[in-house]
Amino acid sequence: MDDTILDVSGLSLDFRTGRGRIRALRDVSFPVRRGRILGIVGESGSGKSTVLWSILGLLARNAEVTSGRIAFQGRDLLGLDDEALRAIRGEKISVVFQDPMTSQIPVLPYARQFSDILYRRSMSRAEKRDAAVELLRRVGIPDPEDRIDAYPHQFSGGMRQRAAIAMSMLTGPNLLLADEPTTALDVTMEAQMIDLMRDLRAAFDTTIVVVSHNLGLIAEMCDDVVVMYAGEVVETGEVRDIFHNARHPYTRALLECDPARVERTGGRLPVIPGDIPDLSASLTGCIFAARCPRAMPICRTETPPDVARGTGHARCHLLEGPGADPDWPPPAGVVAVGRTDPPPAAVRPKRSGEPLLEVRGLNVRFGTMGPIRARIRGVRDPFVDAVLDVDLSVAPGETLALVGESGSGKSTLGRAILNLLPVNRGSVSFDGQSVENRPERRFKPLRRDMAMMFQDPVGSLSPRKSVRALITEPLVIHGAGGRDLNAEAERLADMVRLPRNFLSRYPHELSGGQARRVGVARALSLNPRLIIADEPTAGLDVSVQGEILNLMADLQAEHGLGYLIITHNLPVVRHIADRIAIMYLGRMVEEGPAAEVFAAPAHPYTHALVSGVPYPDPDRRRPPSSAISGEVPSLLRRPPGCDFAPRCPFARPACREAKPPTVHLSPERRHACLFPLVPPERQN
Amino acid sequence: MPLSPVADAGARRDRRDRLRRFLSDWQAVVGLALVILFVASAVFAPWIAPYDPNAMDIPARMSGPSWAHLAGTDQLGRDTFSRILHGGRVALLIAAIGVSVSLVVGLILGMIAGFGPRWLDSLLLLVFDGVRSFPSIILALATVALTGPSLTVVLAIVIITSIPGYARVARTATLALRHAEFILAERSLGAGTTRILLHHMMPNVIGPLLILAAMDVPVVVSIEAGLSFLGIGVLPPRSSWGTILNEGYLLIRDAPWMVVAGGIPLILTTLGFTFLGEALRDTFDPRMGRER
Amino acid sequence: MAFYFVKRLGLSALVVGTVLLVLFSLLHMIPGNPAILALGTRATPEAIAEYTARMRLDEPVWVQFVHFVSQALRGDLGADVFSNRPVTAVIGDRIGFSLALILTGMGWAVLLGVPLGCLAAVRPRSWVDRVTGILSVGTIAVPSFLVAIWSLLLFSLQLHWLPAIGAGEPGDLSDQLSHLILPAFAIGLGWVGYLARMVRASMLEVLGEPYIRSARAFGLPPRRIVGGYALRVAILPTITLIGMGFGGLISSAVFAEIIFARPGVGKMIFDAVSDRNFPLVQGGVLVATAFYILVVLVSDLVIAWLDPRVRSSL
Repeated sequence: MDDTILDVSGLSLDFRTGRGRIRALRDVSFPVRRGRILGIVGESGSGKSTVLWSILGLLARNAEVTSGRIAFQGRDLLGLDDEALRAIRGEKISVVFQDPMTSQIPVLPYARQFSDILYRRSMSRAEKRDAAVELLRRVGIPDPEDRIDAYPHQFSGGMRQRAAIAMSMLTGPNLLLADEPTTALDVTMEAQMIDLMRDLRAAFDTTIVVVSHNLGLIAEMCDDVVVMYAGEVVETGEVRDIFHNARHPYTRALLECDPARVERTGGRLPVIPGDIPDLSASLTGCIFAARCPRAMPICRTETPPDVARGTGHARCHLLEGPGADPDWPPPAGVVAVGRTDPPPAAVRPKRSGEPLLEVRGLNVRFGTMGPIRARIRGVRDPFVDAVLDVDLSVAPGETLALVGESGSGKSTLGRAILNLLPVNRGSVSFDGQSVENRPERRFKPLRRDMAMMFQDPVGSLSPRKSVRALITEPLVIHGAGGRDLNAEAERLADMVRLPRNFLSRYPHELSGGQARRVGVARALSLNPRLIIADEPTAGLDVSVQGEILNLMADLQAEHGLGYLIITHNLPVVRHIADRIAIMYLGRMVEEGPAAEVFAAPAHPYTHALVSGVPYPDPDRRRPPSSAISGEVPSLLRRPPGCDFAPRCPFARPACREAKPPTVHLSPERRHACLFPLVPPERQN
Repeated sequence: MPLSPVADAGARRDRRDRLRRFLSDWQAVVGLALVILFVASAVFAPWIAPYDPNAMDIPARMSGPSWAHLAGTDQLGRDTFSRILHGGRVALLIAAIGVSVSLVVGLILGMIAGFGPRWLDSLLLLVFDGVRSFPSIILALATVALTGPSLTVVLAIVIITSIPGYARVARTATLALRHAEFILAERSLGAGTTRILLHHMMPNVIGPLLILAAMDVPVVVSIEAGLSFLGIGVLPPRSSWGTILNEGYLLIRDAPWMVVAGGIPLILTTLGFTFLGEALRDTFDPRMGRER
Repeated sequence: MAFYFVKRLGLSALVVGTVLLVLFSLLHMIPGNPAILALGTRATPEAIAEYTARMRLDEPVWVQFVHFVSQALRGDLGADVFSNRPVTAVIGDRIGFSLALILTGMGWAVLLGVPLGCLAAVRPRSWVDRVTGILSVGTIAVPSFLVAIWSLLLFSLQLHWLPAIGAGEPGDLSDQLSHLILPAFAIGLGWVGYLARMVRASMLEVLGEPYIRSARAFGLPPRRIVGGYALRVAILPTITLIGMGFGGLISSAVFAEIIFARPGVGKMIFDAVSDRNFPLVQGGVLVATAFYILVVLVSDLVIAWLDPRVRSSL
């Protein structure tokens, strides 16, 4: 096969740990065809990154390859010594890492980092520098001649990832590996990076292997896909085949769980019940059998056959042998695998008129330096406005989603509402009474009614407390005298569907999903009326995030809770929110009913966000270079005029002069743009 | 307020695991043995010492090690071995009082610095750093010039120089926790400052401090020995390892066994506590451990 | 940067000021006439009267303090009670011995400890690592004054390889060097182990960082990764540590000077304390403090120079 640049075959790998061998990869095989983009997709624990590290020969010390070969241009990489591998790494095979913040050495300037990569070439120092400058220019770094002498911390996140891509392309490698290249980036940056990588692939004739959990990214940029689960390749194929005609139940389930692909909103999301199996135990049969709704007795005893179908392979008993089902796979669009029972929750209680939470003209500012330093530096106004003139309201039984990229001030706003940060100006009313900047003593009773869920599921739990102590702590704090705490703990655990034996565990013993349940139980323990949830699905796999969102929806239906959900995850928002509010640089740029805003965004920023998210369907790719340019500026350098004007493709001179006023399109819908995108007939 | 004690299989299993890991480490076992030896010999010195440490035996003066005098005798015929055993009592006393007082004061000051306003933090930090790294012997010499030598001065020096170490560690831990998401989560639930400090911060701060305490014992013992060696700590005729070394140093040409014998318990104690402290750290704080 | 520098200098001045205050109160906290304390009991009434007038002892305490500070700033630290030589001159005679000892002691410890730590970190669990581990615990465990006594006993008195006491004949460089070896060995030994451990821990941490993985993924040779990348970062905390550690090193040097009868500042202070020669105590402590503060300042500036993150946050 001449067009195969990299061929992984029969790769098995163990990690030796204190608790025995973990069989991290088992019989992993897939070819990578020259000039194409291959995506390896899987959830956490699937071993997708381990495959990448094996290709590079950069495995952890306790890893041991037990069998298989990785043929690159005809040579088995696993058989090469360090010297020979080093000659390939960086020259023929290059990498882009997940987090540009930590993957570049902080103490060396880019010029040095680039020229070090070219150490094998007999080029003069000036030639190396020129080559690096050229590539920086190519990836869109302005003033590369000067910026090349900068250090990584002087670059913004997006620029760093551009620089990382430039570094990886510097030697013109034949194969580029990318490990979750956009996971650490915001939506608008993600779109830019996808464009950049596609563009470079064409220009440099490079083959790319992308590892990601993000189905949208895979659908957007890949030609071929490898689906991994618990250390095995369950299915391979061309991207259309995988997304439209998946043959393995796991692939089906994964696609069905992705909220972006669930068209019907407001109902329950499909989920894959159960957890990834323990890879240190002995494994027989199909690795997915324990969670597979189509599992048959044979699945638990016999290794499934590797069946060639269409453009790839799939490992499933449903496809061949005694368990074969002629009706499998069902047509695309039929939910066949993801669990949707119990049936969709009851209709939400009607929103009542009186808002539970009402925020008016809220401002939160932070000091940037001490008064002495400010005076010495001649800074007259050493503050930044993290939240500026924000209005919002949440009614009982309603879900408002607050959407924005990092630096938009959305988390700050949430914390200010809960009196965890001082408010500079404006008002926060809860249930009709004004509560902002109340001394904690007077705010404390309100905390029974307003609870918060924090972003990091494990990190927001006090590490030395048992789950039992954690979920009953609010009762203790608010003086639940006489109540049987043990019984309460069990009631709450049942409520969030956390097994009771987890009550004696500690946070570090919980998975992300389990810790998130504890967070929900804590938030609910005092029967609050409003919950502010900061990125409730952050750090959760697709199959698990559905369970949490369903749980939250059930509880809302049952208790008439108001939700203020702070997130950057638009597919999730589309699914759960009644209304959405978009923030940019601390200001609200648009607000309205979720369906309307998604269908016809008025503000160009909203449009960029909505269209920037890669859609998990290869037939709905964004047109090239439709991503908006630039990055969210620092709060220290707030542009004059409209905050978004410098990045806005539709900006006109007037935008750069004055802050646009807030305009109401309807009683429910408003935006802050001088030249909104909605058709004129809709404006009144 | 206390929650009903929960039978906790997970935590128990964890503890058992840790104990097994701890005991499988030869350093831990050796360390523990040496520490027990140190404490036991000091506590039981009056009963196990073969001679009265101050009993003079002029005919047997300056005799080398023998079965009658395991570590020889000094210029007054006192039995060095018995004096070493009794000297351990001084070391133990200083270590116990010095370490526990500095630990408690350091914990409190450190948590104040970490949790309090920034100006207070900067001020305390300045003081900690100034004191911690100031040459302790210079401080001791200056103080003794003022007050004259005594056990109290030694103790004071030990405490003053040790506090910043504990305070620093407590401050760093508190500061890291202060902005931890779970602290914010606790505040959002309505937990007051006292509750946050005592229930949520202290349990996370005290662990590293206890490990530091184990490692600090040898430092404290060395300071006492060093000051006594210079004659500005424990004064003769009371025996301490430092005074034995002092007398031995003056007689180094004629009775070299004294400086040899006087130094050995110092090294054994130091090794014991260092091993113990490191093993504790590796067991409880794998992040800092050798296996990293 | 300039702001930082000024702030650091200000802090240093503050510490020196505090020490001056303590030293000043030293004479006033002891019961008895400060003039007699400063001049010794054999001083004549005229001398006492002259001293009282010169130090403004009959004026308010704060005036005395201001006077004391301004004299100290002008380099007048009083006079030796016995020889009546200016304290600055006495210290000037001796400081060379102390500096030579401290710098040699730290120097050999750095030259040996840092590479050992690197080696151990690059090959964890190898024999180099194990030997380094045992050696470092061993050397840290022995207090430096015990190393001094024992090495004196072993190398001078038993083996007769090296001279026992003094600093060597003036002008005879090889003799002076041979007198330097044992004390420098004694004060540096613990630091070898300490530095090796710290560099090892720091290196292990850095070697686990994603940017080292990137460097390896780009195929950079291990030598360059360890020397050019990892050490570049790992050395930063080590420099702070060395700066802070000079306090402990000064303490060790005092012991070493006393044990080896080396005529440095440390021995001078010790003798002065025994003789109740207060001006010398004051002068010596001040010089030791100033030296220590200078070292910490230099180490902070070196870090600011080496670490661009620190540089641009200043």
